[in-house]
Amino acid sequence: MSVTVARDVTERVKPPRAVFVPFRMGHHFGVPFHSKGQRLVITAALDLISGATHSGQILDLPMRWAELRREGVDIERRTAG
Amino acid sequence: MTATSDGGQLRPGLWHTVNERYPGSMITKSDTVPLARLRRPLAESRLSFVSTAGVQPTGTLPFDVVHPVGDYSFRRVPSGAAPADLEIHQLKYPTDGAHRDLNVIFPIERLQELAREGVVGGLTDNFFSFIGYNMDPDLLERTLAEELAQAVADEQADLALLSPA
Repeated sequence: MSVTVARDVTERVKPPRAVFVPFRMGHHFGVPFHSKGQRLVITAALDLISGATHSGQILDLPMRWAELRREGVDIERRTAG
Repeated sequence: MTATSDGGQLRPGLWHTVNERYPGSMITKSDTVPLARLRRPLAESRLSFVSTAGVQPTGTLPFDVVHPVGDYSFRRVPSGAAPADLEIHQLKYPTDGAHRDLNVIFPIERLQELAREGVVGGLTDNFFSFIGYNMDPDLLERTLAEELAQAVADEQADLALLSPA
């Protein structure tokens, strides 16, 4: 089970299962201090362990980097306050 | 050549970009491996984590990040470690987020939470990390990949989450 931000690379490497997130390199689980988003990526990957229908399947997670980043900034502001 | 799609990735065409810069370094497999099924429910399964983020316990031998063909060794990272006990030795991906919150690339605290809550049955005693800058994919498969797979199996993992950085 792989978590990838490079769908084109993963399509060539062909791990048995993968979830793709449209995030920055080095930020596969999201943005700093956004625990909920980080956890969501992991649990989606774990769900695919039993949910995969075929080897090589790549699940596109409906998450958006810009949205996650905005939420992360809000979380930091609240924490700092 | 297999047709691929970028599917909205933030840095499109990464495979070609890297392969042009380091010819022959990028892997293409012609087929998939058989899909393995869990032997027991997830809540009873032991999870391991394997990352190319170059994360290692503070004070251990740093990865050789300037070797011309890469570093084919790996480090064990205790799964119960705190982020403050770990450091990153890797130059090939943006680490600005990870230096503020390691969980964005090595989600050790999230995995510890999932184990405490019983979502997974437990964690292997160690997680594993190496660096992605390895320019000889055949050497990588013959050495690092084989040794790492054995190390994960030795920890009696039921499943492993992999994360290329």
